Amino acid sequence: MVGLVIASHGRLADELVSTAEQIVGKLPAVATCSIEPGGPVEDLRAKMKQAVKAVDEGDGVIIMADLFGGTPCKESLMMCQRMNLEVLAGVNLPMLLKANSLRSEQMALSEMANQLASYGQRNITCASALLREAQQPRT
Amino acid sequence: MITLVRVDNRLIHGQVVEAWLPHLKVSRVVVADDEAASSPLIRAAMALAVQSAIEVQILPLAQVDFAALSKDGVRTLVLLRDVTSVPFAFQHGLVMDQLNLGNVHFGTGRRQVSPSVFLAEGELQALQQLSEQGVRVEARAVPAEKSVDLPDLTERWSKAG
Repeated sequence: MVGLVIASHGRLADELVSTAEQIVGKLPAVATCSIEPGGPVEDLRAKMKQAVKAVDEGDGVIIMADLFGGTPCKESLMMCQRMNLEVLAGVNLPMLLKANSLRSEQMALSEMANQLASYGQRNITCASALLREAQQPRT
Repeated sequence: MITLVRVDNRLIHGQVVEAWLPHLKVSRVVVADDEAASSPLIRAAMALAVQSAIEVQILPLAQVDFAALSKDGVRTLVLLRDVTSVPFAFQHGLVMDQLNLGNVHFGTGRRQVSPSVFLAEGELQALQQLSEQGVRVEARAVPAEKSVDLPDLTERWSKAG
């Protein structure tokens, strides 16, 4: 199974996982790491290495960071030079739920990462506009 | 055919859309609920949440043809808001071997029997009658969770008094 690491500033990573588990139940092979205000980058680096190791079952790991260009994302990119890793930035709840379910399908790690990025984007919608469309009588 | 009957006072929501629908592989979701059916807004918002490949029907309880749903070949999830609707559906042709209790929230006179299910005494009795008629009753919010069956629910209910 592909391992998942959610990396964020502050408590976002932990809370995102806890919210996802409220919706679909316990997520296997998922770890979180975060950087706190004023925390040294070295701490985050060590935590990220640990997190990746904890969820790596031999099929590779996808790190989902909160923000492109932020420290968790940058540190992840440093690691992906040396390991079977893909890094996504801009993690959201739909993307995390999809990552969990996609793991049961056979596909290359890079393909899974690409699919997740577009799925995350597709699931950002103007819901109120969709509702207005749905309520329009069909002509 | 009825794949699962679920009591959930949120009807169609995250757990149903993200966990049960992929797990059950149903082609039809029937919400049998007067309140939801009476509001075009609720109907549209709920139907939007389900991918378009799955048929969604939102009807008043008394208007649902449970016998027809049970007989045809379409895998169906039936959603009811509360336990009291279940015997009605059962008496009107709903064929089910399993009843899932998802979210039944706290209310006066209700006791907690699982993290997401609170039951009143009358509801527990109704469930026991269904069980005597061959329905397996379980409390389980999402498929990955361990299900709690009626004997355990009954025991927890007694202890919670």
